Amino acid sequence: MAEDLTFENLELLAQRRGLTLPQEELQKLLPGVIRARRQAAELRDLLARGDEPAGVFKAARGAGK
Amino acid sequence: MEQSELCYLTIADAAAGLRRKQFSAIELTDACLDRIDALDGKLHSFITITGDLALEQARQAEKELRAGTDRGPLHGIPIALKDLYATKGIRTTCHSAVLENWIPDHDATTAVKLQQAGTVLLGKLGMHEFAFGGPSVDAPFPAVRNPWNTAHIPGGSSSGSGAALAAGFCYGALGSDTGGSIRTPSSHCGIVGIKPTYGRCSRYGVIPLGWSLDHTGPMARSVEDCAIMLQVLAGYDPKDNASANVPVPNFQAGMKDGIKGLRVGVPRKNWFDENLGIDPQTEAAFDQALKVLESLGTTIVDIDGKPFSLARKANQTILLCEAYAYHEKTYQQTPLKFGSSVRRRMLEGAFLSAADYLTAQRARAVLNDQIRANFAGVDVFAVPGAARPPEPFAGLDPNEQNMRPSFTNPFNLTGLPAISVPCGFTQENLPAGLQIVAPPFDEAACFRVAYAYEQATEWHKHRPAVS
Repeated sequence: MAEDLTFENLELLAQRRGLTLPQEELQKLLPGVIRARRQAAELRDLLARGDEPAGVFKAARGAGK
Repeated sequence: MEQSELCYLTIADAAAGLRRKQFSAIELTDACLDRIDALDGKLHSFITITGDLALEQARQAEKELRAGTDRGPLHGIPIALKDLYATKGIRTTCHSAVLENWIPDHDATTAVKLQQAGTVLLGKLGMHEFAFGGPSVDAPFPAVRNPWNTAHIPGGSSSGSGAALAAGFCYGALGSDTGGSIRTPSSHCGIVGIKPTYGRCSRYGVIPLGWSLDHTGPMARSVEDCAIMLQVLAGYDPKDNASANVPVPNFQAGMKDGIKGLRVGVPRKNWFDENLGIDPQTEAAFDQALKVLESLGTTIVDIDGKPFSLARKANQTILLCEAYAYHEKTYQQTPLKFGSSVRRRMLEGAFLSAADYLTAQRARAVLNDQIRANFAGVDVFAVPGAARPPEPFAGLDPNEQNMRPSFTNPFNLTGLPAISVPCGFTQENLPAGLQIVAPPFDEAACFRVAYAYEQATEWHKHRPAVS
């Protein structure tokens, strides 16, 4: 959950994503990341099992657009 | 005609004057270039000025017009482009050190359309770096200032477009809008800007922020001018995967027919008061605007704001994921090349999951249905252009905007056309905007309502004291 994200978790996640960021930069990033993850999590309550994403692949459109 | 009078003409009036030979395209261009030279040192609205090209295009336009070759109302009109529209042979920076010296080998489709319409390109305009974050205080180019008060931000991300128009540097400009980037600077600078329906105008050759939310569109000093520009810009483009292959109507047809009998939906409940809520002066200007719409024969209808409020969360999640996906490689290689504001906002997207992105896209489908369902009972929506007046640079807190309702995000998520028109000033003489939102591909309804409002008020005639 978003609330569980700590500085140490963020540092680990950054490494896994190939991001080399100074500790000070990561510290400044933490509140925004928590907010973004919390925001995304809140959307889950809106959905029913059958709801599909807005963007879906349409085979008929083909490579030629 | 004095320089400032000439520079503040509308496109419609400048086009008429050119055909009456009151002045030439060269005189219009010279007036704009002189004004930019004299005043832009305080505003920083331009990153690149293409003076020689502009004069060459103006001479060509003048020659054609005198020979009877008329390419339409934009022929000979000086315009400028936000610096994320690719321009062949002209530096295109996105206001970033990452692209500081990039010279594209191609033109954006919309730039080509404006060239073919005979416009004169004055240059490329400042913006928020990569159209995201906030004013770019540590980018290689200075942050754009608001002509109404240079201590205040002009709004973004199309900040240079808003400031240049308000300062009388050009007659029309292109902006782009992923979460409000045309409408916010239009509101903050006291000008008009429309985000058309998603897919109405090509995005080809425009540096993406969030592919599924990005819109291109015109900004100008009047509703009619925006309609004139959109007429040229709209249309199917096979080079743009999201381009809509739908007919382009005459956007000015019915624009001057009045709005008696229309129903205007206002989604105030469950939205305007979220978190810190809307600024009281901004809300007062909006309420006064609703009274004007009522006096013109419309009926104001309250609608539920909850889905509009939730739309921001989905819009932001999608935007963060798509923006990071586009820039990921650069972030991994040279993260500190981005300015601090955009760097921190975009990196938030690195820590969202695939499930987060898809959840937001699922929520988008649900919220889109809920929001559009309101059109069964109303013709258009009316909301403020921004939640608060333009903030001062001093003490600017980029996180504070997240504590106020976003009146622009929901219409990126739903792709609905939305126009911002000036609707008043605060006690500090800073502009406010009224936003009119219409059903998909009904930009004409935006123009009709905004034009009726504009003509019933005097706000669009106010000019900042730039000196």
